[in-house]
Amino acid sequence: MITFSSVSLIYPSSTKTVFENLTFKVSEGELVLVMGPTGSGKSSLLRLINGLIPHHTGGILAGDISVNGISTREVKPGGLAHLIGIVGQNPINGFVSDKVEEELAFGMETLNLQPEVMRKRVEEVLDLLSLAHLRGRSITTLSGGEQQRVAIGSALVMHPKVLVLDEPTSALDPIAAEEVLSILHRLVHDLGLTVVVSEHKLERVIQFADRILYIKGDGQTQIGRPEEVLKDSEIAPPIVHLARALNLDEIALTVRDMRRTTEKFRSNAVVAKVKTPPIFTAEIIEVNDVTLSYGNTRALDNVSLRIGEEEIVAVMGRNGAGKSSLLRSIAGVLKPTQGKISVLGSDPIDLAGKERRQRIGFIPQEPSDLLYGQSVQEECRTADRDNESESGATFDLLQNLVPGISPTTHPRDLSEGQRLALALSVVLSANPKVLILDEPTRGLDYSAKNGLISTLKAIASHGCAVILATHDVELVAEVATRVIFIADGEIVADGSTLDVLLSSPAFAPQVAKIMSPVPWLTVKEVVRAIGLSS
Amino acid sequence: MDRSLHPLAWWIWAGALAISAARQGSALLSIALVGVVALVVIFKSEDAPWAQSFRWALRMGLWIFTIRTLTGILIGVPIPGRTLFSIPILPLPSWMAGIRIGGNVTLERLSATAHEGVMLAAIVALLGAAASLSSPHRLLRSLPIMVYEFGVAVVIATSLIPQLVASTARIREAQRLRGQDIRRLKSWKRIALPLLEDSLSRSLDLAAAMDARGYGFSRRRSRYRPSTWHVRETLICASALLALAWPPIAIIAAVTALILAPKLKEDVLP
Repeated sequence: MITFSSVSLIYPSSTKTVFENLTFKVSEGELVLVMGPTGSGKSSLLRLINGLIPHHTGGILAGDISVNGISTREVKPGGLAHLIGIVGQNPINGFVSDKVEEELAFGMETLNLQPEVMRKRVEEVLDLLSLAHLRGRSITTLSGGEQQRVAIGSALVMHPKVLVLDEPTSALDPIAAEEVLSILHRLVHDLGLTVVVSEHKLERVIQFADRILYIKGDGQTQIGRPEEVLKDSEIAPPIVHLARALNLDEIALTVRDMRRTTEKFRSNAVVAKVKTPPIFTAEIIEVNDVTLSYGNTRALDNVSLRIGEEEIVAVMGRNGAGKSSLLRSIAGVLKPTQGKISVLGSDPIDLAGKERRQRIGFIPQEPSDLLYGQSVQEECRTADRDNESESGATFDLLQNLVPGISPTTHPRDLSEGQRLALALSVVLSANPKVLILDEPTRGLDYSAKNGLISTLKAIASHGCAVILATHDVELVAEVATRVIFIADGEIVADGSTLDVLLSSPAFAPQVAKIMSPVPWLTVKEVVRAIGLSS
Repeated sequence: MDRSLHPLAWWIWAGALAISAARQGSALLSIALVGVVALVVIFKSEDAPWAQSFRWALRMGLWIFTIRTLTGILIGVPIPGRTLFSIPILPLPSWMAGIRIGGNVTLERLSATAHEGVMLAAIVALLGAAASLSSPHRLLRSLPIMVYEFGVAVVIATSLIPQLVASTARIREAQRLRGQDIRRLKSWKRIALPLLEDSLSRSLDLAAAMDARGYGFSRRRSRYRPSTWHVRETLICASALLALAWPPIAIIAAVTALILAPKLKEDVLP
């Protein structure tokens, strides 16, 4: 279906080739997962398939790419619209109309299809993706998962043979992600659709993939069955790390298969006694009966909680449950309609300037919102000046987090992980007592995530309180000491990470699903426990 | 849900009203007209990002009025009449004869400039009303495919403006949380840069998405649910066009729209 023959790609302004001599074939009805570290060219590869590169963005291309026998050299992306559906990283940026139904019809209108045909196809897709009840809704009012489904739907109405998706679940909570992925799985099996999907959170997609295309970042690529590729790849989901740690011969990719092969470890397990509840530490944040409403909707409903030193609190919940509202109220951006919040004895809404920097550090969803310097160095100097600290302090901090960033680089040219590290060091240079992060792992690969985990642990051990909102259960399992689960603006669960994550199957990390009922959350814990028992 | 009015009807209506207001040249008529049109916007516009256009147009109109009046007071040809107050005259070189900065401000001069300011502001507000009453996306669909580049530009611009407002708020918030003083004028530099990057990448995404979905590839384009032209549209447009002949009818045309146009507030189910 898709053929890449000795494809090389280079961008005009860069000296590094993105791909060199890439050759592979994807046959009909396959689901191919594209994986690789950030900045390795996953998005570029996806955009090569329908010719957006080089027709839309430029770039020098050698070799040939053909889809269903049509070479992308000869046809512009528009000419492949009936053959390839593409769903971008942020579907909201690609929507052309304001109503769900009109958005679905847009592509067919451009292909000049007859109204009767369009009607029929729109109905089909509405049913296929269970969007029928949303047909008249305005797209901006939909949740992230619903928007993702609309984007997939508007590609499917064209009856494409190939569907290309760029990180379709990165912004979604585990349940919405599961929904989207099972739809993809069904499309491949029922309609014989060919799907190419890129994703960082491998634990979500791995069980659906027929083959993996691994872009190693140094121009090397590997394509093969998941078991082969993951056997010794640098990037791997927890399930593979577990298999490696337990020295299993075969790598199983589904929880079910893995449970079969790890039977003996579970039955032999000597469960270490349940962790003692955290010692009461000095209290930093106090939230008392806080209610926050926008018009008629209540984003937070009578929320009370206390957070102390050295705690790392993960706030979880569906998209739109009120995670961001809670974080932003604590940070002092939103004023609660009722109730009181205090951070070290003062109302965060009144904090400004230096006092604010030294109390609360906030990393927004887009870390680049914080940055405005023309170079990494300029950014660090501004932070030094703001904190009246000695020059170079911020840059040293950055070198500690991610070594090897050149001070003259423009922040825009950094990878997602490096940019997050820069924003973190700018914020941390003021030594805040509270660090708040909103969705820090969007677009982070595993190595950047590990970097973040060790940074957060180090900060917390210095007496800082860390709060993060995230959908990433694996991150929560690794880093958090406590989990707060929010639904509809109310706190539904608040307890130690172990208790909260194990109590709901959808939010359980992969290792916990495999090892259940033994309460282990991460590969490290399993290794430690098994080391103890043997 | 009631079908919305044909987007072109709104533009014809608003355009005709603006022209007739300009032809009549009466500040009173213009203010009354903007008042009735404001009611139409309040009652008949959808809960959509572009519905804010009227509010922005009003603000812009206010700015235009202020600037026009100020420049009218400071610079210009003296008009004889009752002197209200006088500003010291700025001496200018001889080759700039005919231009005067400062001097006596007469009631006549003040009212003349204020009047012009009102007219300009009213025209801006009326066109803003059309923008907030009709969905730009739907307008684009009723335009022929020949104006393809124009279409892409319109879609990008109209979906960008609400996003721009949202991004500005987001970035200002982030900067404030970094402990920066965001009220100072200098802080705009700190906001402008991330904002520019953000909007640029969004526009490129949108253009790529439209390209990938075949927009403009085929010269012919079908309509899924064509915007239809009913008696309603004809009546509203006809009343507005009549106002071109005799401007005071414009008020009646505005009221016609207030009565005939469907109400489109969306009921978002929880």
